[in-house]
Amino acid sequence: MDKHRVWQQLEQLCATESSLHLRDLLQVKDRFSRFSFRQDELLLDLSRQRLTTNTLTQLLQLADSCDLAQWIESLFKGDRINHTENRAALHTALRLPAEAMLEHQGEDLVTLVQADLQRMQHLVEQLHQGQWRGFSGEPIDTLVNVGVGGSDLGPMMVCRALDGFQAPEARQITTHFISSMDGSQISGLLDQLDPARTLFVVSSKSFSTADTLANAATALDWLIRASGLTTELLARRHFIAVTANAPRAEAWGIPVENQLHFRDWVGGRYSLWSTIGLAIAVRIGMSGFRALLDGAHRMDMHFRHTPFSHNLPVLLALAEVWNINFLGIHAHAILPYDGRLAHLPAYLEQLEMESNGKSVDRQGNRIEHHTCPVLWGEIGPNAQHAFYQLLHQGSEAVMCDFIVPARRYADQSDALQSQHRLTLANCLAQARVLALGDAAVDQSNATPWQRYQGNQPSTLILLDELTPASLGALIALYEHKVFVQSVIWNINPFDQWGVELGKQVANSLLDIIGTPATTNRFDIATEGVLNQLHGQWSDRESTEC
Amino acid sequence: MLIAIWGDELGAWVAAVELARTGNHVLLQQAAPGESSHRAEPGLMDSLAAGMASGNIRLCSNQEALQAPWHWLASHPSDISHAESVCRDLSQQGPDNLVLINQSNFGIGASDRLHALLDSTRQQSLVCLPDTLQQGQALQQFATPDTLLVGCEDDAARLRLQALLRPFSSRLQQIQWMSRREAEFSKFAISGMLALRLGYINELANLADRLDVDIEVVRQGMSSDKRIGQHYLSPGCGFGGHHFTQYIEGLADILAETRHSTLLNTVLNENERQKELPFRKLWQHYRCDLRGRRIAIWGCAFKPGVASVDNAPSLRVIRALLAQEAQVQVHDPEALSALQSELGQSTGLTLHQDPYTATQQADALLLLTEWPLYSSPDYERLLQLMQTPLIVDGRNLFEPDYLRQLGFTYYGVGR
Repeated sequence: MDKHRVWQQLEQLCATESSLHLRDLLQVKDRFSRFSFRQDELLLDLSRQRLTTNTLTQLLQLADSCDLAQWIESLFKGDRINHTENRAALHTALRLPAEAMLEHQGEDLVTLVQADLQRMQHLVEQLHQGQWRGFSGEPIDTLVNVGVGGSDLGPMMVCRALDGFQAPEARQITTHFISSMDGSQISGLLDQLDPARTLFVVSSKSFSTADTLANAATALDWLIRASGLTTELLARRHFIAVTANAPRAEAWGIPVENQLHFRDWVGGRYSLWSTIGLAIAVRIGMSGFRALLDGAHRMDMHFRHTPFSHNLPVLLALAEVWNINFLGIHAHAILPYDGRLAHLPAYLEQLEMESNGKSVDRQGNRIEHHTCPVLWGEIGPNAQHAFYQLLHQGSEAVMCDFIVPARRYADQSDALQSQHRLTLANCLAQARVLALGDAAVDQSNATPWQRYQGNQPSTLILLDELTPASLGALIALYEHKVFVQSVIWNINPFDQWGVELGKQVANSLLDIIGTPATTNRFDIATEGVLNQLHGQWSDRESTEC
Repeated sequence: MLIAIWGDELGAWVAAVELARTGNHVLLQQAAPGESSHRAEPGLMDSLAAGMASGNIRLCSNQEALQAPWHWLASHPSDISHAESVCRDLSQQGPDNLVLINQSNFGIGASDRLHALLDSTRQQSLVCLPDTLQQGQALQQFATPDTLLVGCEDDAARLRLQALLRPFSSRLQQIQWMSRREAEFSKFAISGMLALRLGYINELANLADRLDVDIEVVRQGMSSDKRIGQHYLSPGCGFGGHHFTQYIEGLADILAETRHSTLLNTVLNENERQKELPFRKLWQHYRCDLRGRRIAIWGCAFKPGVASVDNAPSLRVIRALLAQEAQVQVHDPEALSALQSELGQSTGLTLHQDPYTATQQADALLLLTEWPLYSSPDYERLLQLMQTPLIVDGRNLFEPDYLRQLGFTYYGVGR
């Protein structure tokens, strides 16, 4: 069927259905069984989305009209669907089991991927056995991941989430993450670390990321000052490069034997499954890391082979498309009810907004409708004391994702178990009040400012437990949801041209910070601030003299 | 007297052969020590054979052992449940007036708990006699102790114990009677004190390294102060063995759990670091690259006089060297087979019966155990055999100035 026609039908449907309220939809007896979907250890509950069976049927037609099935095959087969960079997007290949095969440009990718993992495993074992030695011969006990964007957010999010799955042999190794360009993280951290026992993992796909290389240079300088040894020796014992650009890393000073590689067909924000996940593997061990890959792989298989009517990533994507393009909801809150998922909102901000924050389609035409909404989030129970006021009584329509494990603290104290019950109760209560509004309780005596509109749609993702495997599945669910939306919107989710221009302009400004602005070179605002900076800097120089 | 032995710790075997030697009848339930390091204790296996031959030591069933009037218990720290079941059986099936001597390291208060399992209405009693055995000279120490700490809270048992220990009192200067709990605590306290001294002198030695001071001179200065004395004050590449370490670990755990104290854990952790000191000296000398280097090691036993590598510094050093893909050539007069069974087959590791063949083509010689035969080696021969005349002396056995004069590069501990 023609996409344009289905789109119009959905618009017509919306004209009648947008007035439906969740308090009425939730009266329907079989709504939960009809709108909740399970895949192994993960339950996707869409019953609080403003969907009817009718809407869902037409949304599924929309997916068909966009050739979604073919796009999914192209994704998995490794077609160059990142057409603006002429590359495949094969993060799913990183999760294939060792016995699988995937031929791509004449190479078996599985062999390649497994070899990269094998090298990572060797390194992880050396660290766990205390046999990676620093310049003094002491074993390394501190790992500092230096990266930004995909080389930071994914590993950091997963390490935090799976802290409880720490391998026993990893206990003596602490991990830190450093990303910020301005040096504020690294300068504070280095004061607390022992240079003789610290290993820096410099993660950068291109090995040209200014933020990362600036932090790495500061780290190297710190080591030289502490040891009095040469750059060559320190780079050999205290730096690992994780990169897709071996020559650049070598030119920076990190020898090839200290490099872990991944391929240009892995996008930065899809790279935690590759050797970029080194910090994860050090924390949870290779068996934990492989369990993470396996959880994601099972979601891949589900996504590739399950009919769309029961396909979790497809259904989640379509429910949001309905919200964004038909109900006019352009804000999306990510609300994990589990402190271990504290970094999930930041991770998804990048995954979703860098992938689909675009308004030009694959053919280069301007897109007339909305695409990726504004995403933000926070640990749910904490956000209840912050921005939930806006969710409940503000003027903006917001869709929410509640993410919570069913079981936690099973073998721990009663006090902790009751904290989990409290958390679950709050999670369900918030989803209920957002949906039902005043109808959730007897509000007959409420004042105007105690009123709740309700009808804010939400998704609830219930994990049996938070484990490496269930987290892998959860992340893969979001990745594929983003992909489905990109297909519906006809955009390339795997490039990020929108971040380039700023870097270019920064380079042109770098050398003139602190000098008086030449008129007409930039704009009036930039020149104004340049002159202010020049004033401040020359004042400082004259006081120093 | 008829004495049944329980447990497989070194103390059990030493007590068996020494009690048999002095005319007692000893009942065993297994024919030989399970652990190879115990079988290697000098004199033990010979004395055991002699005891068997004389008939003073014989094997018996569990049932028969329970009937004995005397019981000697030296079990592994993790075997307390076995000890408890022995006590329960004794309370039901053992004779009146039996005495159970507990020499196991089950922690402070364990002897009281075991005593409570016996039948006190029938005057069954438990005495705590912490051992003072050092591996390598355990038989002699059992036979001629200087002092004994005895935890005994029963006058009748006390009198009988004095009679049993009478043949071992030729050099005995003092026998300290105290409660069971105090005896256990005293044993821990002594072990902890010794560990603190060793930890302290190693800390000073590492500092001396940085400050260009010879720790040997400082050590002699310290020893001359009567309040300090000379024992347990030799710096080196860490202490090993398992008996000593068990007590210190036990005390460290109690301190950590009940007082959140890190004092002894720090000593233990620093000792583990100290074991790798020879590796670190070598690593720094060769600028962090030992791949393909040939490294000779003299001494892998955890101390001279034993055939055991339990917790030995050599294990950590050899593992570190192999992980860096160095070739390791080891000599030890006694402990090579223990090393072999601990490390298994490993490419890069060769064992040598002759100390000099171990140094052939070596890029360094690491001395890790101060066996007397290493004290005065043929230096000329070493200079000829070694690829690089570099010595890392983990026990400060050699004379640094003399070695340097001969043309060796020398690294000691704190000198």
